[in-house]
Formats: sequence, C-alpha cells, structure tokens
Amino acid sequence: MRGPARRPAGRPVRKTRYERGISWAGAPTSATRGSHSKRSILKRTLFLMVMCGVVMFIPLGWKLWDIAIVRHDDYQRMANRQQTLDYAISAERGNIYDRNGNAMAMSATVYKLILSPRELVASVSKKDEEGSPLDDEVYKAKVAARQDRMVEELMTLVPDLDREKAVRQVHATNNAYWEVKTNIEEEEAEVLRAYITENKTSYYLYLMPDTRRYYPYSGLAAQALGFVNSNGGAYGIEAVYNDVLEGTAGRVVTTRTAGGTATYNTYAEYIDAVDGYDLTLTIDATIQSYLEKTLDEGIKKYDIQDGAFAIAMDPNTGAILGIASSPDFDPNNYSIIINEQLNAGLEENANSIFERLKAANTENLTDSELMAKAKSQAVSDAQNTQWRSRAIDSRYEPGSVFKAVVLAAALEEGVVSESDHFFCSGSAKVADRKIHCSDRNGHKDQDLTKAVGNSCNPAFMEIGQRLGKDKFYQYFESFGLMENTGIDLPGEASLKNAIWPKEKMGPVELATASFGQRFEITPLQMICAFSAVINGGNLVKPYVVQSISTGDGTVIQNTRTEVVRQVISEQTSQRAADILEKVVSQGTGKNAYVAGYRIGGKTGSSEVRTEQDHILVSFMGYAPADDPQVIVLLGYDRPLPRELGVHCNYIADGTYISGGNMAAPMAGPLIAEILDYMGIEKVYSADESAAVDVSMPKVTGKSLADAKKELEGKNLKCRTIGEGDTVSRQVPAAKTSIPGGSTVILYLGDAVPEESASVPDVTGMTYEGAKNALEKAGFFMRASGVSTYYSNTTTAEGQSVAGGNVAAIGTVVDVHFYNVVEDGRAG
Amino acid sequence: MARKAKRDLTMEEQLARGPLDLPFLMLVLFLLGIGLVMLFSASYYTAYRDPNPPVSNNPYYYIIRQAAFAGAGVVCMYIISRINYQHFRWMSPFVLAGAVFLLVLIYTPLGVEINGVTRWLKVFLVAGPTFQPSEIAKVAVVLFYAARLCKRDTEHKKRFTKRTGLGRTLNFLERIGFLELVPYGAILLIVAILVVFEPHMSGTILIAVGAAAVLFVSGISMGWFVGLGSLAIAGLTFIVFMTDYMTRKINIWLDPWLDPQHGGFQPIQSMLSIASGGLLGRGLGNSGQKLGFVPEPENDMIFSIVVEELGLVGGFLILLLFALLILRGYWLALHARDKFGMLTIVGLITLLAFQVFFNIGVVTNLIPNTGISLPFFSYGGTALMIQLAEMGIILSISRQIPAPRKD
Repeated sequence: MRGPARRPAGRPVRKTRYERGISWAGAPTSATRGSHSKRSILKRTLFLMVMCGVVMFIPLGWKLWDIAIVRHDDYQRMANRQQTLDYAISAERGNIYDRNGNAMAMSATVYKLILSPRELVASVSKKDEEGSPLDDEVYKAKVAARQDRMVEELMTLVPDLDREKAVRQVHATNNAYWEVKTNIEEEEAEVLRAYITENKTSYYLYLMPDTRRYYPYSGLAAQALGFVNSNGGAYGIEAVYNDVLEGTAGRVVTTRTAGGTATYNTYAEYIDAVDGYDLTLTIDATIQSYLEKTLDEGIKKYDIQDGAFAIAMDPNTGAILGIASSPDFDPNNYSIIINEQLNAGLEENANSIFERLKAANTENLTDSELMAKAKSQAVSDAQNTQWRSRAIDSRYEPGSVFKAVVLAAALEEGVVSESDHFFCSGSAKVADRKIHCSDRNGHKDQDLTKAVGNSCNPAFMEIGQRLGKDKFYQYFESFGLMENTGIDLPGEASLKNAIWPKEKMGPVELATASFGQRFEITPLQMICAFSAVINGGNLVKPYVVQSISTGDGTVIQNTRTEVVRQVISEQTSQRAADILEKVVSQGTGKNAYVAGYRIGGKTGSSEVRTEQDHILVSFMGYAPADDPQVIVLLGYDRPLPRELGVHCNYIADGTYISGGNMAAPMAGPLIAEILDYMGIEKVYSADESAAVDVSMPKVTGKSLADAKKELEGKNLKCRTIGEGDTVSRQVPAAKTSIPGGSTVILYLGDAVPEESASVPDVTGMTYEGAKNALEKAGFFMRASGVSTYYSNTTTAEGQSVAGGNVAAIGTVVDVHFYNVVEDGRAG
Repeated sequence: MARKAKRDLTMEEQLARGPLDLPFLMLVLFLLGIGLVMLFSASYYTAYRDPNPPVSNNPYYYIIRQAAFAGAGVVCMYIISRINYQHFRWMSPFVLAGAVFLLVLIYTPLGVEINGVTRWLKVFLVAGPTFQPSEIAKVAVVLFYAARLCKRDTEHKKRFTKRTGLGRTLNFLERIGFLELVPYGAILLIVAILVVFEPHMSGTILIAVGAAAVLFVSGISMGWFVGLGSLAIAGLTFIVFMTDYMTRKINIWLDPWLDPQHGGFQPIQSMLSIASGGLLGRGLGNSGQKLGFVPEPENDMIFSIVVEELGLVGGFLILLLFALLILRGYWLALHARDKFGMLTIVGLITLLAFQVFFNIGVVTNLIPNTGISLPFFSYGGTALMIQLAEMGIILSISRQIPAPRKD
C-alpha cells in the first residue's frame, strides 16, 4: 500500500528548483520548519482541550443559570403574559318581563364585523408569483389596489356604510381594529361569514360575537327600563338591578399560541358563567301603552311645552302598573333624540350655550370649536332630558291634588266634617295678604263636599288653619312626603329644601301649602300619599319588580307589599273617598267622568315656582271608587297660553288652562280603558243606565200602541211620521244599538224615510239642545265626557260626524261634552 | 473484495482494523438520540402550522426527514470509520479541490436560494435534497491542513541567495515563518472569499476556526496568532463602530428590549423560553414558547426549547455530554497514532466545540446572533450527515490508537 506517510523523509530524487539554478528558489537547509518539540505541540493541544472542553462551557453554564434561575421570575412572568389567553365568557343578561310575562328587555347574540387595516396590508405579498421580491413601487401599487378593492367589497357587503369613512379607515394602516358594523343579526352574519370563508379574509376581516339588548316594545316604559351601555345597566331598572340581571361572567385561563389560538391542557382553568336572573315587573305593557298614548295625545292637544308624566299604580299594594314620562326615547337606540320638541329645541339651546361659552371663553377657542362644544352639550342635555323619569326624579308643586291629603288629615283630626259650610268670596286674607280663589267671583256658600268639588282655595286655607301648623307638618311627614318612597327605580329626587322647615312656616305658608303650592314633592310621592287617603289609610311602598327568577322560572325573590305606616283610619279614608268621588261626578273632575265606572279623583293646576305662564295641570283619579283597583296620576307641564305675559288662561284653541279642563278629560277615558282591560265590569247608576245603549226592537208590522209599549220597555221614546195604525218602517233598523232615552222614528202607512240627511252642528249646545237638534234631523246622540250631572256650563265640544256632513238617517252621532272648570289655582 | 486473512495483513492494515473508541461513539449516539427527540418536540407545532409544501401541515415532516438522514449518517459514519484514515492524506487535495469547485458552483444558476441567501446546492445538482458546500469545505480545509502540516517536522527550511534584494527578503520571510504560511493563507483566502460572498459569515468564521486550530497545534509561531488575532479584533471593532447596521446589532445584543419586535425578538423569546424551563423544566413536549413564539424553534434556537422542556438540569446534562465528547475528542487526538491523525481530530473537534459555543452563546444572548446551528440537534439533514461523517473520521483515527500496554 502506498501512503504519503511512507515516503522516505529525504528529498525526492528529482533535482530541486534550487539545484536547477532557478534564482528565487531557496535551498533546503538542515533545519526543519517544525522545529518545535513534541512537548510544545502537546501543550498546545492540551491548551485547546481545556479551552474548548472546559473553559468555554463556563460562561454558557453561567448564562444559563442566570436566565433560568436568577431571572426566572421576571422572564417567566413575561413568557406567561404572552402565552396566556385569559378571556371572559360572557354571562347572558337576564330578561325583563312585564306582569303578564311579555318580554320587555331581552338579550341576543349579534356580531360585529372587524377590519384590521394593518393586516390587510400584510396580506399583500411582497413577492411576485415566482417568489422574487417586488420593487417598492410595484408593491405599493399592489397594496393600494388591494385597499381600493377592500373599500368596494365593504361597500357591497355593508351598503349603508359611509364611503368616505370606509376609505379613511381602510387607509389607516396603523390601526388593527376597526368596527365596520356592529349589531349584525344572524341572517346577515351568515352572508358575511360565507364571504369571509370564501375569500379567506379571516385574519384581517372577521366577525366577532357580541350581545345586544333588545327592547321589543321599543320606547315603551323606556325610562323605567333604562338601557344598557358598554358599562352595563345605565339607567332605570337595568341600572338598579344590574347585579341581578348581569350574572357572573365566566373565565377561561389557558395557554395560547403566538397566533392566538387557545391550547387546551391541564393548566387550563375554566370557570363557568352564571347567567343573570330574569325580572318580572309589576308594569303591564298594555296599561303602560295606554299611559303613553294618553300623554302623547294630551301634549298635542294642549300644546304642552315641558313634557308630561303619568303613573298608574295599584293603590292597595304599591305595585306600579305603568310609569311614563315624556319626552321619551327608544332604549334600542338610546342616544338618538326622537322627541320632536327636543329636536326642534336643539339649535336654540346650542346657540344659548354658545353665547354662554363665548362669554366665559378662557381657553381662547375659536368660534367653530365653541359651537361644536355647544352643540354636543345641547345634544347631551337633550339626551339627559329624555332619559329622565320625571315622575320620580323631578319635583313639582302638586297644587290642588294635594287638597285630598289636607282633607284626609282634617277629617282624621275631626277639625272638619261633611256638614261644615265654608263661604268663599273669591279671595281670602291671610296675615295681610290677599289670596285669590280660582273663581274670582267666589264660590259663595258651600258644604265640605262642594268645597272639595269646587277645589276652593279659601275653604282649604281655613281647613289648613283649623288643622294648625304642627298637625299639618305631622301629617305631611306621615304621608311620606318628607322622605323618598324607596321605590326600586333610580334617581328619586332629593327633597332638600322641598318644604320650609317647621319653624319658618308662618300663616301664609300654611295657607298656600293647604292648597298644595310653594312646596315640592315628586309625582310618585303624591300618588303614594293619595293612595293612602283612599285605600283605607295605608301608606305603601311603591315597587316595580314583582319577582326575580332564574331562566327556568324558579322564583328567587318575590316582592311583597310593604306598608310603611297607617296614616289615617279606615273610616276617615272612606269618608275622604266619598267626597273625592263627587269631585268627578259633580265637581271640577267632571270631565273625567265615564259612565259605568265610579271614578274618584282630584284635579290640580299648579303654578310652577311663580314662573309666569307656567302651569302644570294634573289629575289624580282612581277607580272603582268603592274598591279602588287602580290610581292614576296624569300631569302635563306648561300648556302654552294663547298670549304670553298677560296672565292669559287660555291656550290657542280656547281651552281654559286647568287640571279639570285638560288632565281630567284625558284621565277619564284612560282610567276607563285600564278598568276595561283589567276586566272590571261597568256598573251603571240609575241615571246612567237610562243613557246606556239599547238594542232597537223590531216593531214594523206591529200596531202603533204595541210598538210604543215595546219601546217604552226598552227606555226609548218615539215620534211618528205619516198616517196609519200600523208601523210600516222604523228608524233605526232593528238590532241597531242606540243610547237609551233616544227618540226613534216610526213611519206609519205609506210614509217613507229619507235615505240620508245633513247632520246639524251641535257644538256649543247644551245636552238637551244637542239631543233635540240631532233627533229632529233623524239622528241619535250618544253623549260622552261628563257625568249625567249636567249643568248649564256643560256644552258639546265635538261630534263624531261633523256638522254639515251628510249621513244615513238613524246614524248614532257621538257627541263629547265638556265642562269648563275653574279649579283651585292660587290667586 | 475477499476479506484477507489476518495473517496476510500488513501492520498497517491490522491497525486499521482495531477497535473504534467506544466512549466517543456512545457520546455521539447519545447526543444524536437526544437531539432527534428534541427536534421532534420542537418542530411538531411549526410543521403542523406550516401550510406550504413540502411541509403541508404534516407535523412529522421534520422528524421523519431528520431521522432518515440520521440513519444514513450513522451508516456513513461507520463506513468512514472502517476506512484506513491514512488514505485521507492523498485524498485531501482532491477533497479540497472538489469543495472549492462546489463553492464556485453556488455562483452559477445551480445555487439554491433560501431566505434571500444562496448557500445551498442540490445533492444531484439539479435534484435531491440541498446541502451546504461550506460544510464540506470545513472538513476539506481541516484535512488538507492536517495532511500538509503533519510533515512540518521533515520539511526543511529554505535558504535564498543573499545577493539579490529579493533573496534577502525571502530569507527574512522564511526566518519569521511567513513563507511557510503562504500556501495555507492562499487556500484559506480562496475558500473564505467564496463562502463569505454567498453570503455566509458564520460559515466563514467556522472555516477560519478549523484552520486556525490545526495551524495552532501544528506549532506555528504564536506571534502570527497574536498579530492576526489583534488585527481581526481591531478590524471588527472598526466595523462595529463605523457602520450603523453593526452598531445597532451590538446595541440590541446588549439590550434586546430596545427593539423587542424585530432585532430583539429572537433573543428575548429564546431567553423567555429558557427562563420558563426553570430548574426542572416544563416536561418533554410541554414547551409553550415553541407554539410560534420562538422563531423557527427546530433550527438554531432549538436549545432554548430543550431547556424549557428539560429544565436547567437537562440543559446542563446536554452541555456535559458535549463537553465530554469534546474532551474525549482531544484525548483521542493526544493518543493518535501519528501527527496527521492528531491534527485532523483537533481541527474537527475544535470546529464542533466552537459550533456548540456559538450556538448556545447566541441562544443565551451571551454573544450576538451569528446563525450557527447546534450539532446533532438542529434541523438539517445533510449537515447532520456531514457532521456524522466527521465523527466517522475521528472514529477511524481512533481505531489505530495502540492499545495501552498491560503490565
């Protein structure tokens, strides 16, 4: 075997270059190049051995120790932070039901569409198809093209998107999170999901689940329900019962990959979410809708400027059946101002705020900045106005409605009795001050019932005087007017300075307070106190949540009626209720009368803090009077007088501004509607049943005498046209429903009725006048609006078929009667 | 070829059939085994998440290929260990020439570009798995240097005529040992230039380290090392301070949190990974950092995953195995039958030691990032095969170590 090692150590046989005489080549010398001893080589190898095998490992080991042990905690924390996926599993928010189980608020899963403009850019490859890098410009053009296409795609996917905004957002490439659209319903989400899967956009355009609160009745009971914003329940029941409704969010703590995917392992921790409880309210969606409808109608009818409120309550239990305030809003879109008046006032308010800001402009803002500030301030003011529940969070002077409380206190104390008489000259003098009655001519002599029915101020000043300051104050307090009611709704108004302290209460204060002026309470307090007057004397705590239950219906908590205290005796309550019933049947509450229901109540027209032209008209009504099932307080703030600044007491259409003329006529049908809905049957008094509708019998073919006899049995009168003995035709036709007491027409012999006739205009006529006029023309009248106790001030104010129109003979014309009432306004 | 009977063997041949060094072999196999297990653990997630061919979400992609190459590599190692290493003496110039040829091929369209750099060739030039010719160049340079330098003791110094200035200069250069270095320097320069312009800085460094180790042990005057070493350090310092790119790189090395998203990302993630392991580790397969946090955990950063899963104890154990392998390597060098064997082992083992140092140094942020893989652990089939072939050379040399005389 020939190996290089075996070559002899000497020079090769061939002559070297040196030997051949090449000048630059060197001659070999005796010294070898590796002149070092073997020892030196050994030393160097050992050196390398120690260096590479031992020394080099020392810093490595030290560094590993340093990282893994010394800095373990710090680094471990950082590693955990990036590796841990900690997310909440949202608990389903509980639903809110009305007393009949209709969902008023519910939660549902929706989606939001998210675009990450940053990832969109990243999705564009920097390389061409062959994998070689692109030029900067080509790449930029490609990105721009992709962005343009994205805008187009978004516009197709979300047609109502603002294009300008889309363009701006798509190009905001530092942003990784833009909510393109929120509250996407499942149906639409499906379309988007299909698009995302098809185009593989999931890492820059994707859907995220979200929950949304739905209020199926939209604006109904909006202030009572409140709404939910990103922080949870913000107003109303949603806020008060937030903890109950919200449930407990669950949590998942697990490791994750850099891509964000959760990895499941033994370290993972799961805590299940506990869904929120459901609430069942005492509010009845139907009654609530009656209240809101009545508010809206009244506001339109009477030119109301500052909103209105209505409360319907069970006077015996304190369960709120409905509570409404106007202006209201739609909790589904709670920041949108839907009220026309609020919207109309926005600009004016913005301008006045602008002026104020400009006057106090310390930051040297430009006009346009100030205007923007003023505008947003105006919008936020308007939002706060619509979110407020006036019936709870604002105070008012209750006015004459409060007389019921004074009456009850006086009766309980025995300082007045039904047989007492009061004389009203139109004004009364208290400590050098002349206080007028609403009727400047005076009510003259009146007994207690009349005095209440007339809402006579001088009479009540006297009653207050008889009661005395101490007793007045004592009853004021025991009727719950010095403390919040404790209702489970947020924002009960503070009662600070609502009434003078006892020591500061002089005769004038006592006198005005006796008819409900110059002190303030909330409408809710008023209805509770009034309930105590008529329900047997118990002040009850009002509430809106009847029960709390789990999703499967297990009741966790049920609210029971809480009687705060018995204020007056049952007998006194009965006496007061009898007097108050007459307010509606004969007094200032006449316009609230509805035949068949015994409604009691009290009207009120309060001057608001002595502001000019600012009257709050209200009516408190309850029914049935003998066994109250529902009590309603209805108030309209500031009907617009025809002329401002001249103590004008009429609005544009000539209606006198007072609770009896405005609130009562709205409250009467409202209460009747509620009673109807509650299934309380009408019971007619003798007078009333006379006017109750009857079915017209078939009398054709009968003799006149028989016909007359039959009609009499039905409480109908008749007149005849034509000659003969037998009734050939009749108006109206058999089985037509006409009011009792009407005069029907019987045709004898060949007499033939006209087909139709012109309806006479009866507005302004008295009851009898209108009835006669209509019947003469061949029509029948069904009266409504006031009780059968018609005075000569009762006039028709509207008819269902307008005067001059042609209608078929025999048509029943509904005529609404109306009483001009001047109830107890402070002089 | 019929096997010769023992009595017909020459002394040489008898020696070549001696027993290979078992401790060294066991250490190699042990490290290779651990390396494969850890590669599987580290690469599983990356492979699973990679939708691009050829990986195509196959979690076993890396481990199957690596295991196949490891098998082939072990066979290769055994075959090489059976070769009488004396043949490498005459082979070495051809190996070197071949390596240079392959390095030149990289600059032709045959070169394969990965991640923007061209360091690879295909095994069959137009097809097959890729490999780095610089890996072959490393071995070639070591072998060639060893084959030449082992003859220093018999190589006579030259004397030149003193009549010409050239002659006097040459005499001076011969005296300080410069002339002797010229061929080595030239070869190293050629190879280094070819590698450095791929570009492949870390490969260049390793080739220089291998060459320097052989030169150092063969007895080249210390002055050259001191001189060239200081020159290199001065040059490096100059570059660091004069170029923004390098200054920035050094600053990030000193404080990776200066740029945690880009430059500092890799060292931060690697350190977090090591720290997560703590003393005893999170358990095999339980690394959290390999789930996309440590970039390419199957490659250079694999050791950080090893420490995370096996803990500081496991990390130290592996370092210990490497240290033992290196020490055993030098022990074999010291006992080698001749100087050629000795120099070869020193060159190869020093290369291995520096690879370990550079890799783990980077993983622990002890030194700035160089991009050197960890022998037996990092993914790379052909590199592993060449590594095992190098071990085969050492084992082949170990066969001819004379047995200690028994008293």
